[in-house]
Amino acid sequence: MSKIGVFVCHCGENISSTVDCEKVAATVGKYDGVAFSVDYKYMCSDPGQSIIKNAIAEKGLTGVVVAACSPRMHEPTFRKVCAEAGLNPYMCEMANLREHCSWVHEKGEATTEKAIDLVRILVEKVKYNQSLNSIKVPVTKTALVIGGGIAGIQASLDIANTGHKVILIEKDPSIGGHMSQLSETFPTLDCSQCILTPRMVEVAQHPNITLYTYAELESLEGFIGNFKAKIRKKSKSLDEKLCTGCGLCTTKCPTKKIPSEFNEGLGNRTAIYVPFPQAVPNKPVIDRIHCTYYTKGKCKICEKVCPTGAIRFDQEDQIVEVEVGAIVVATGFAVKRPDFFPEYGYGKYADVITGLQFERLASASGPTLGEIRRPSDGKIPEKIVFLACAGSRDPAKGIPYCSKICCMYIAKHAMLYQHKVHSGKSYVFYMDIRAGGKMYEEFVRRAIEDDGVNYIRGRVSKIYEKNGKLIVSGVDTLLNAMPVEIEADMVVLATAGVANEGAEELAQKLHISYDPYKFFAEAHPKLKPVETNTGGIFLAGSCQAPRDIPESVAMASGAAVKVAGLFSQDELTREPIIAVVNRQAAPVYSSCVGCFLCVSACPYQAIEKEEIKNRTGDLIKSIAKVNPGLCQGCGTCVAFCRTKSIDIQGYTHEQMYSEVMALLNEY
Amino acid sequence: MVDLIKRAKELIETSAVRVVIGYEQGIGNKTRALFVEKAEDAGKLIFDSRCVQNLAVYITKKEIKEKGKMAIAATLPVMRSIIQLASEFQVNDNNLLVLGITAESKLIEFANLVEVETFVHQYQIEIDARNKEMLDKLGKMTQAERWKFWIDELAPCFKCYACRAACPMCYCHRCTVDFNQPQWIPVPSHELGNLEWHIMRAMHLTGRCIDCDACYNACPLSIPINLLTKKMLEDAKEHFGGYQPSLKGDHLMSTYKPDDKENFIH
Ligand SMILES: Cc1cc2nc3c(=O)[nH]c(=O)nc-3n(C[C@H](O)[C@H](O)[C@H](O)COP(=O)(O)OP(=O)(O)OC[C@H]3O[C@@H](n4cnc5c(N)ncnc54)[C@H](O)[C@@H]3O)c2cc1C
Ligand code: SF4
Ligand code: SF4
Repeated sequence: MSKIGVFVCHCGENISSTVDCEKVAATVGKYDGVAFSVDYKYMCSDPGQSIIKNAIAEKGLTGVVVAACSPRMHEPTFRKVCAEAGLNPYMCEMANLREHCSWVHEKGEATTEKAIDLVRILVEKVKYNQSLNSIKVPVTKTALVIGGGIAGIQASLDIANTGHKVILIEKDPSIGGHMSQLSETFPTLDCSQCILTPRMVEVAQHPNITLYTYAELESLEGFIGNFKAKIRKKSKSLDEKLCTGCGLCTTKCPTKKIPSEFNEGLGNRTAIYVPFPQAVPNKPVIDRIHCTYYTKGKCKICEKVCPTGAIRFDQEDQIVEVEVGAIVVATGFAVKRPDFFPEYGYGKYADVITGLQFERLASASGPTLGEIRRPSDGKIPEKIVFLACAGSRDPAKGIPYCSKICCMYIAKHAMLYQHKVHSGKSYVFYMDIRAGGKMYEEFVRRAIEDDGVNYIRGRVSKIYEKNGKLIVSGVDTLLNAMPVEIEADMVVLATAGVANEGAEELAQKLHISYDPYKFFAEAHPKLKPVETNTGGIFLAGSCQAPRDIPESVAMASGAAVKVAGLFSQDELTREPIIAVVNRQAAPVYSSCVGCFLCVSACPYQAIEKEEIKNRTGDLIKSIAKVNPGLCQGCGTCVAFCRTKSIDIQGYTHEQMYSEVMALLNEY
Repeated sequence: MVDLIKRAKELIETSAVRVVIGYEQGIGNKTRALFVEKAEDAGKLIFDSRCVQNLAVYITKKEIKEKGKMAIAATLPVMRSIIQLASEFQVNDNNLLVLGITAESKLIEFANLVEVETFVHQYQIEIDARNKEMLDKLGKMTQAERWKFWIDELAPCFKCYACRAACPMCYCHRCTVDFNQPQWIPVPSHELGNLEWHIMRAMHLTGRCIDCDACYNACPLSIPINLLTKKMLEDAKEHFGGYQPSLKGDHLMSTYKPDDKENFIH
């Protein structure tokens, strides 16, 4: 016979202002199997906890129901109280009278009745509860970092410096990400490469970091502390050990007219190429789509000129399997490109360019060696117009959010232009200037006041060409929507920052969630900004939303601390809320018929086949078996099993049934 | 069916198989299952248009499996069932030889289940015109009308479980209705209990049922319970692109896919 104790909490007045807690305690106290029932102002307080402990000792309780707030809030608290009083913690359940009742209903009879129902359900459930023990799993103390932009670089270095191993994978031939393409950076105007390159080199040289460039995640299995990742190392057509990075091949390759990704199409590269001079690693890859040998079957000039014989035309992609305990996703973002802005003539007029292209023009290592020249004829533009919010904050374009970085980099671009073209005139069309950040507002003021950039508040409706000039036509909303027309030589669009192509597939591989714009979703917008909803997987940088460099770096360090925290333990303790396939005595062994439909249904690959053999080793029966390390307790298999052979511990069929019946039956 | 008789005799005589499952003449104009274990019984085998029972129901039975390797005279629906059962690990090449019977009543002996699968995949599962019409009619009803239709149809069901016994996919040793701790599906035959049983049956067959109508043919009251499974077949096609039983075991309803859009949930 159960001896259940019920402890009804007022939660100050959170519950008691609408629920008659005394009545709940008194009514439930009369139910079968309830040996003790009491209400108290704060059950979670020290005196409240003592009431529970004393009752367990004095009444010899076999189960406890705490009727209070959400189990997400205090289930661990009350389970610990029970454990301290000598009761198995899993004999304790919580009825959520606050979020599920008092907060959502008015004061009244019915509200108290509902509270009584909620408690009764749990009383009936606890009658079927069984003692459970938590599960311990080992932690693999190696981290996987996906994406080698500034966020991935910072996370890798921070984790590696705590003494743990890091595997960093980058899909491009070099690490660096967008930051490597930038000229100078707001708000200090320091040279991007100059502050980034030392960190890239540090990554390459760090004894705790293994770097795989030109590599992507193929698949991921497992769970926090125990992931198994397959990495696809795309073929570089190169023996990296032999290659010395002399670069002779890249000078001799006859296929020279391939638009350079690094220069945003403003310059060319060869088929065998290193994306930029400071690349890490500084060794080439062959782009098989454009290489003459792969497309036409003849050439192999690079092989002939290579002094160390490092070229490998027959090299295949390689799959590397690694075991890691935590993952930091730092795959960054993308910017909107051509044909998204037909009204601005992008793609039609060579001198309408994106912000990222402007970075390349302004960069000392760029195609114009840092001189601002028009892509069409190489002339220095005398009048330049910058358009903020190109695509951003435009629900009609499907991007209602603010891309956040553009206001700042536009100010930077205009400033850089004024520094380089003293006689030039620059205009910025903006909706609002968003310069929240340390030294940010001052930076924008400097552009306007010291460098004479003309800021016009208003939107541009169209851009068209007339007599070799780009006519930018819009309105000035500060002057009563007065039409403005500027005859510009060049226009720069601050195109919206968006999620990477393929972000969705990656999220699915990792089992993490994403928002409607395909940016990866943090576990809590305020309190868990670098965690995902999947244990052991963290986010850093602009894969979560458009972010500037300081924010990306801060997030990366935050994620690194989370990883280091995880790695500070040798074992993780997991809740025993997992599925179990029943076992019975011979000759039945289990009610499982071995159809193994649960195996394919399990999202975590946690179900295996188990063969039951007799003494002579003959197979008697194959049945399903759940791996307690992998099971996440989602319950999918339970729903699928036609023979009802699987139960979730803590949520068994009998427990669920008794809850439903407690609600349906009259008391 | 001279070919079938000859081949069955050979198989038993050479001990290639221990039992051949086929049809024989039953009482009146009915046919019934025959289990040939002795060569002289092979002569009783028949095959004609009356032979519609799905014989695949026997190949998962303990009593038959225990005899040793089985051969089975299999029409298209039986072959489909066999492939589904193989994908659920209930039969395999080591314990089953398939003697296929084509629509033209020709015998083809398959070397293995892969060959059976190839044969089966030549034909799509199609709902016949009469039932299709009925489904459309049901689809056009209001919710209240449809509810009444099913309550009325299912009311006389007295839970003899003949439908379950006739279905090759109902091979579980413990059916959900037999699970009594707790008894989710009520045993007595009352309005709600009957409805629960039949809905559960249809759910468990979704993505697995190969539309052989064995359940309907077995029902002593001729309740059109096959309309439920047929409706699920249609829905499976509409929402998930349909299915064919396949040895690969990419089970339509029970394969976790990260890219599952779940856009059927409204
Ligand atoms: C025009 C422009 C100017 C800017 N100017 C400034 C500035 O002045 N100051 C400032 O603070 N910020 C500036 N920013 C913002 C800055 O670029 C970002 O804050 C920064 O690049 C974010 O770093 P990240 O590592 O998060 O992402 P990214 O730089 O995008 O790096 C992501 C990396 O991950 C890799 N990757 C992507 N997918 C995968 C995958 N599936 N597998 C493996 N690898 C993958 C990518 O190849 C890339 O190397 C500017 C941005 C733009 C567009
Ligand atoms: S084979 Fe020829 S085209 Fe290809 S990378 Fe080498 S040199 Fe360039
Ligand atoms: S020529 Fe050979 S050694 Fe030199 S960079 Fe090219 S591949 Fe490397």
